Amino acid sequence: MNDNRLIRLVELAVPGILVGLIAGVTAGSLALLVGQPPGWALVTAMTLGVPLAVFGGGFGLLAAFGKVRMGGFAPAALYWLIAFPVARLLHEVLTKLVLTGKAGLPPDPLGFLAFQGIISAGFAIGFLWLHERVAPRWWHKVAPHNEQAGIVFARYAVHAERMVKAKQARSKKSRRQVKVSSH
Amino acid sequence: MADSSHVPIADSTGGEAVASPPVESERVWRAGKLEPMPIRKLPEAPPSIHLLGPTVFLVALGVGMGESYMWPRLVLVFGPEIRWLFLIGVTLQAVVMLEMARYAMATGESIFAGAARVFKPMMWFFFGVAILVYIWPGHLSAGAAAFEVITGIPWVVTACVALILVGILFSLARVIYNLLENLLAILIGVLVVGTAVIASMVGNWSDLSSTLSGMFAFGYFPAEAMSAQWFPIVVGSIAFAGPSGMQQMWYTLHLRDSGAGMGAHIPNIQGLRNAGAEEKMPSRGFMFDTEDPDEMAKWKGWRRWVTFDALLLFWGITMLVTVSFTVLAQSAARENPDVKSLIEGGDRDAALLAMSDAFAAAGGPILGGLFFGFIALIGMNATLGLFDSFSRGQADMTYFFMPGAKKFKMAHLYAGFLWGLITFGILILLFGPADGPSGVLDILAFLSTFAMGAYCIVLLLVNNRMLPKPIRPKIWTNLIIGFGAVFYLGMLFFSLIKFGVVVG
Repeated sequence: MNDNRLIRLVELAVPGILVGLIAGVTAGSLALLVGQPPGWALVTAMTLGVPLAVFGGGFGLLAAFGKVRMGGFAPAALYWLIAFPVARLLHEVLTKLVLTGKAGLPPDPLGFLAFQGIISAGFAIGFLWLHERVAPRWWHKVAPHNEQAGIVFARYAVHAERMVKAKQARSKKSRRQVKVSSH
Repeated sequence: MADSSHVPIADSTGGEAVASPPVESERVWRAGKLEPMPIRKLPEAPPSIHLLGPTVFLVALGVGMGESYMWPRLVLVFGPEIRWLFLIGVTLQAVVMLEMARYAMATGESIFAGAARVFKPMMWFFFGVAILVYIWPGHLSAGAAAFEVITGIPWVVTACVALILVGILFSLARVIYNLLENLLAILIGVLVVGTAVIASMVGNWSDLSSTLSGMFAFGYFPAEAMSAQWFPIVVGSIAFAGPSGMQQMWYTLHLRDSGAGMGAHIPNIQGLRNAGAEEKMPSRGFMFDTEDPDEMAKWKGWRRWVTFDALLLFWGITMLVTVSFTVLAQSAARENPDVKSLIEGGDRDAALLAMSDAFAAAGGPILGGLFFGFIALIGMNATLGLFDSFSRGQADMTYFFMPGAKKFKMAHLYAGFLWGLITFGILILLFGPADGPSGVLDILAFLSTFAMGAYCIVLLLVNNRMLPKPIRPKIWTNLIIGFGAVFYLGMLFFSLIKFGVVVG
């Protein structure tokens, strides 16, 4: 894969990476705000933020290549059912490793994964919600030099354009009607 | 009986299209004694959620202290089984939301205009209740107090600065709806992913399964809940599960301004800076031809769209936040037994502080701060949504029904109510009781719940009398809304008569 192709792929994944990172890094930023040592903030931001960002980017690519339905909840829920528990497991293992120097699984790993699996449904709603707000705008921005971004944005634009046109047409009509009524 | 039954149109079961000579032999729908609604085309419904999303307002307004504090408190006092009442409360609100949307999407009018079509004093009642209940800035205190814990800035200062910022923001925005929708959407998204991440860190399998299974313990009602101390709180918590007071009515304004259904024919409200660019507001809504199968197919599309919004976004997010906070409260109480007694005792600020400490002890210092960060975020969402909605609702009723008000633009009226609310709020924060004078607190709580019972009755009247028959609600929907009216009003008066206390 040449560098340009890789850059274009990463560009497509940026909204997903960003949303995943926000979820992990929010914890770190708030820790700094309350005056905790930067080390604490950094460990959580990295060990949770990075895995969530990677998985978020993966979902973004699936969406960009039309492998999952535009704005659909079920594919997002299914994706995070696997990805979220894995990210949390990495977070637990890596945090322990960085802070204590010893790697180790959380107690009752299966129960842990099952719990994370259920919470993942909530995470999926929030992720999809944010991704659908951010991604179309970003893809529109990079579309001039990224063909695939242009293609995926066009799918959103077709519908948005139809809505805007319908609204403009109705507004004109209603303005005309109001004028006639007032005479 | 509504005028619509005398001269209905576009209704094969009870009427015919009526020619109205002055305007191009235009077909109209007559509903009540107000101006008839011209027939226009219904736009196509969007296929998925992301292009229009007025539900963000309802979620922002609805996910508040009820979800983050009142219900976790009840779970600690009575056990997770009490949550079946939450399920009933939120599900009832989801049905109310769908019925509010029915009128707003079919006509492009707010539910206030619908109420005025049935009986104008009914609309003025809501106008008065909104002023009495929502001018007090007490709702700012929880979020601002949480911000004080994080930053050390006194909460009154934060609250006053926030009020002024909200005013400036909404006055400078070009199109208020778009700005607020985007802002709230991002804030709620962060809230939802963040809540899920925190719950995943501090919760465990048994807390979650007991919380979820408790939602299906139908009929559980411990004897202690039937006391003067707890009964009003339990009823209040059910009424305040999801959007409370007049928030559902304001949702119809957001639907209209987002262009949902026939709202596409109504111009947007502009910010004060752009008031000159505002299109003239039509003096009534519009109706589509319910005899045309193509139009009815589009209508079904809109109903599917709003049902998806109601079930996944509104019901799902409200449920997620309250389940997460209940799991948090349970794990905090396990860490620190003081939390349980503080929460049970009802001192909200002390209880939230103790919960934060418990998280800091359990999951590291990050979690304590994070918890307060989210309480502050919930407060900010609710405040942004409430200020906009209140001003929008009052401006709407004033513009359409106050004699002489049409001399102003809707943007001016909106700004007038917004800045009036802000000025009064700052004065009260500095010199008066934030929640309102103690002597009227009970009256305000009474009015807030009474308004909910009253809007159920309004919904039944408006949707069954002001809409053409093919798009009126089904019998089971009417039964649920009827149950809502009996429930809110019945419990309110039962609490008042049996215990001498209004809901809390």
